[in-house]
Amino acid sequence: MPRPLLRAVPSVPPGGPAVQFCGHCGRTPTHPESSARVCERCHMGVVLSASSDLVPGTAEPFLVVDRGLCVGALSRSAERLLGVIEPDAVNRQVTDFLVPADVERSAQDNLHAILVSAAGGYAPIERTVVRPAGEFGVFLEARVGRCGPSPAALVVLSAID
Amino acid sequence: MRTLKTSEAAALLNVSPNTLRAWERRFGYPKPMRSPGKHRLYTHGEVASLRDALNDGLSISSAISRARESVRADTHVLTGALAAYDLARADQAMEAALALRSLERAVEEIMLPSLDEVADKHGADSAPWAFAASWASEWLQRARRLTPAPIRQDCVLIGDATSGSGDAQSLRLRALELFTTRAGARVLTLPVRRMGGLQGVLDAHGPDAVVLAGDAVSDDEVARWAWAVRSAAGVLPVLLYHRGVRDERHSAAAGRTLDDQPSVAGPQVLHAIELGMRPDDASGGQFITAGEDRSASQKVPQRQLRTVSA
Repeated sequence: MPRPLLRAVPSVPPGGPAVQFCGHCGRTPTHPESSARVCERCHMGVVLSASSDLVPGTAEPFLVVDRGLCVGALSRSAERLLGVIEPDAVNRQVTDFLVPADVERSAQDNLHAILVSAAGGYAPIERTVVRPAGEFGVFLEARVGRCGPSPAALVVLSAID
Repeated sequence: MRTLKTSEAAALLNVSPNTLRAWERRFGYPKPMRSPGKHRLYTHGEVASLRDALNDGLSISSAISRARESVRADTHVLTGALAAYDLARADQAMEAALALRSLERAVEEIMLPSLDEVADKHGADSAPWAFAASWASEWLQRARRLTPAPIRQDCVLIGDATSGSGDAQSLRLRALELFTTRAGARVLTLPVRRMGGLQGVLDAHGPDAVVLAGDAVSDDEVARWAWAVRSAAGVLPVLLYHRGVRDERHSAAAGRTLDDQPSVAGPQVLHAIELGMRPDDASGGQFITAGEDRSASQKVPQRQLRTVSA
């Protein structure tokens, strides 16, 4: 009989209360108590949840990235920002669309680490600066944290003041 | 094959019927068939695979991508069976495909893409392609034999201008024959190079439309055959299928050049018969015959003019 093992795992960081939002239009569901998995307003997004301090505003572009660093969802405003529609973006590497603003290799690794940690649910909300891939001089602040119900990283983009 | 009405499919997915229709518009999936009353009918397999994908998916796009992939797995199974030269497995793969979709969709989404894959991989002059094409041709003809007797009086004469069973176009022609027969019309296929005794055959069958299929035979030979048909059966609508010509003025929507997809082309043929389109029908104007409307026909490629000048 195998001996039980104790393994140290990072504690899940405390966050605000979980808020539901549409993975495409970003709006909150009309009936939050409903069990519907799909947004009843735009019909195009799965209902996701994230902590209230991470959840995107309706005008804020956002992406959902899985642990393999592949894009799982792209909001309508992110489609406009990045010039790609969601069906063409899903299952592609997030680095095809967003890269660290800092060109150093360490910055690239750091972004990957943040995304993987967030997708695993082990990291608090992190902020970093990114730019659209292939674009120069455009900087965006990215808030990265975990979202659910399927574990993934939520990347909310906003303009830098 | 089990089908679901829109409300049933929506209930299975826990979404509204409007959502399903919105997905159809944006993603083309799930792709419903139509009932005789033109209502949407979803295949249970597609809806079930989408439901499973939605449970884990982060977006509708990724769920649909996964669902499509699982449906596409049938293509890989058939391609694998053909690559292994295993006829029994190929038949089983088609039977499995038919459990999830209509015969028309099984042929168009599974059989023909698998054959295209074999052709791309080995070439259309290779033994693997000949093996796969022979199996597919037999399968289509077997399916046609199992089709119930025609319910319509319409008869479609197909002029076979393909190069034979080793020709990818001939498989699409077999599919067109099958789908038109399943739609209830009688189909008579004759090679365009055989003109002897044509009068007797046409007298016996009385075709209502002529389809010229394939581009392996020269325009001159096709035109001679078409003229012989006209002499024997009178003026008939002439439609082009995989003839390698696409007339900009008279698009597929106008009914003259049929769509490349056999499931679309079959109903187009019947629609042309229902409209009673004639080459000299000024209201339709879809067909041009020798000697008529020369000014308009100046813009038409010479090759096509000769083809349809029956």
